[in-house]
Amino acid sequence: MRAAFISALIVGLCVLVGAVLALFYIAAGALGVVTGALFGKPYIGVAVANTITLLLVMVMVIASLLTLAERKWSALMQDRIGPNRARLGLPGLRDKALLGIPHFLADGIKMLTKEDFVPAHASGFLYTLAPMLAFGTAFVLFAVVPVAPVVSASEIPLVGGLAASMGVDPFPVSLQVAPGYDPGVLFIFAFSGVAVFGTALAGWASNNRLALLGGLRGSSQMVAYEIALGMSLVGLMMIFQTLQLEVMTDGQNQGLFGGILPAWGIFLQPIGFLLYFTASFAELKRPPFDAPEGESEIVGYFVEYSGMRFGLFMISEFIGTVVLAGVVSALFLGGYHLPFPPAWGVEEWLRSSVGEFGLAVVLGTNFVLKVIVLCWLQLAIRWTMPRFRFDKIQSLGWKILLPVALANIAVTGVLLLADPSLELLAIVGLAEILFIVGLTALYPKKQPASLVLAGRMMAGGTGH
Amino acid sequence: MASTKEIKRTAEETSQLSWYQRLFVPEVIRGLAVTTRHFLRNLFGGRDPSPDFAYRKGSLGNQVATLQYPEERAPYPVGYRGTHRLVPREDGKPRCVACYMCATVCPAQCIYIEAGEYEDDPIEKYPTVFVIDQLRCVVCGLCVEACPKDAIRMDTYQHTPPEYTREGFIYPIERLLKGPPVSYPSDPWLRRKDSAQPQDQHFPLHGVAAHSTEPVEPREPYPAGRNHPAPPVFTEEEVRKASGS
Repeated sequence: MRAAFISALIVGLCVLVGAVLALFYIAAGALGVVTGALFGKPYIGVAVANTITLLLVMVMVIASLLTLAERKWSALMQDRIGPNRARLGLPGLRDKALLGIPHFLADGIKMLTKEDFVPAHASGFLYTLAPMLAFGTAFVLFAVVPVAPVVSASEIPLVGGLAASMGVDPFPVSLQVAPGYDPGVLFIFAFSGVAVFGTALAGWASNNRLALLGGLRGSSQMVAYEIALGMSLVGLMMIFQTLQLEVMTDGQNQGLFGGILPAWGIFLQPIGFLLYFTASFAELKRPPFDAPEGESEIVGYFVEYSGMRFGLFMISEFIGTVVLAGVVSALFLGGYHLPFPPAWGVEEWLRSSVGEFGLAVVLGTNFVLKVIVLCWLQLAIRWTMPRFRFDKIQSLGWKILLPVALANIAVTGVLLLADPSLELLAIVGLAEILFIVGLTALYPKKQPASLVLAGRMMAGGTGH
Repeated sequence: MASTKEIKRTAEETSQLSWYQRLFVPEVIRGLAVTTRHFLRNLFGGRDPSPDFAYRKGSLGNQVATLQYPEERAPYPVGYRGTHRLVPREDGKPRCVACYMCATVCPAQCIYIEAGEYEDDPIEKYPTVFVIDQLRCVVCGLCVEACPKDAIRMDTYQHTPPEYTREGFIYPIERLLKGPPVSYPSDPWLRRKDSAQPQDQHFPLHGVAAHSTEPVEPREPYPAGRNHPAPPVFTEEEVRKASGS
């Protein structure tokens, strides 16, 4: 009963995402036609429409729903129900929990209407600037993430006819704010590097010693992981010989071993995946790397912020979650490409049966689903692991991630030189994955010495 | 018992991770597997709303233990001492004979009784006022044990409901007299010739039912009257005289 309801809900969500993405395509195409007719530059309209639809609608909606999902999903992981008491006071909805969605609406109203308190000795300008920096830098990262592939405007329903009637030549439309932007991955590094200013400034400008501690912790942690973050993707840059995310995404659609294995980043660079995921997690300051926040010790760098200023810090964390999911999905999990071996020809079959536009919508939906699953994975990690001690965070960043990233670069370079067809790299990558899976499966049946000793101590078995 | 030295040594050893734990990634994956298993079971499985939540059997292994309180309530165990009730006779009058034993034994002194007499019966007394202050009551149950007539019981299986005023917690006889009536063959009002209640020959122990779980009727608003006298208002002179200044 419930299983059927949940399954129907998931299927309905997929359909909804597909419909929304089709609307996004149409909006981008229509605005492109308008600017094409006015200025002769259709890409301006496409970029503006994508900024609104992808950033302000898609990322914001997913991020704000994640604030609810964090509570609901964590409840399910901990055998609880989660928030279900807020109700909409509308006829017919009075007694419906509506999956807890009224809670997130109530949260928004609360944040927006709360007193905007500024401490007496806070540094006014920097205090105001900090949440903007934190929010903006997290938000802008999604500009380079490709959500759905390039489609000619003439293929999009409604837009094709509009373009023909207004005399605009067909132009490429893709769901990506900045397609063909050369710095690509470097753009992500640059702006996640600027994000540290938001944290440090918030801690410094609020004139509170706990906030200052949080800001210091945040800046040292983010600097420590910045390097490992950059190094972890060098392998992928060497493999695909580009910095653009959409080119990397399309590069992953090639088949290895005669097309039975897609050349996904996770197969070629499993260590790079682990490094990037860990380092980005630490950059986001999400648990288990939430020492800058550490609400049980120091309340965090945003302790003096209230209302929507605090809301900006909080939502920027969730936007960072979405962006990380998008980037990982585009770099390591084949982006919008379907998770089938290229030899099966699923995409060609779809192109012939539902057309170019239908294929693009299906691929975009696929990408959004990957993003949601990766968001879920991040929340699951957050609810699985306790917070690292701060010195452990530093030693993990400097002593483990950084050397491993350097070694990964060296090994990847050697393997690429030995076999430019990537197959040797894939073999090594699969062996690494197998090693990790095997190590997990072959959990030592004999308890580790520490557990045995702990048990003996509990039972009072030592002595005499 | 382990000596301090041994405990210290063992604590040092336990703080060391094994080589497997030091690899970290497998342990994270194993932890994620636990989290994921709970998530999937509770997401797709249906919740068993049974208030007996220690033995819930949700579908597909759902393990949610939440009791949605106002809608689902865990039953109180048998023998739970709930709020008091004055046990009525079959004719609706209280069984209480105003003997003051409960008021005497009460360690919290929360029972106040004033006795009256039935005009047509020179023997029996009855309570004209019977008040229990639930804020003072320590729910010890001594009043129930002291009562010779089984006239006060704590078998309502309800805790004291909240009130907006302190006065609301002072229960008059109107709030206390409720629940199913109880009678014994030895009850004098049943043995009397002119009693309206004939003795039940077939079920001599009629009414000695185990526990009442009848819902409590919504209480009527009671006016400030005999049981709730208005607080006395003293003049400044009276206060000064009483304090002796």
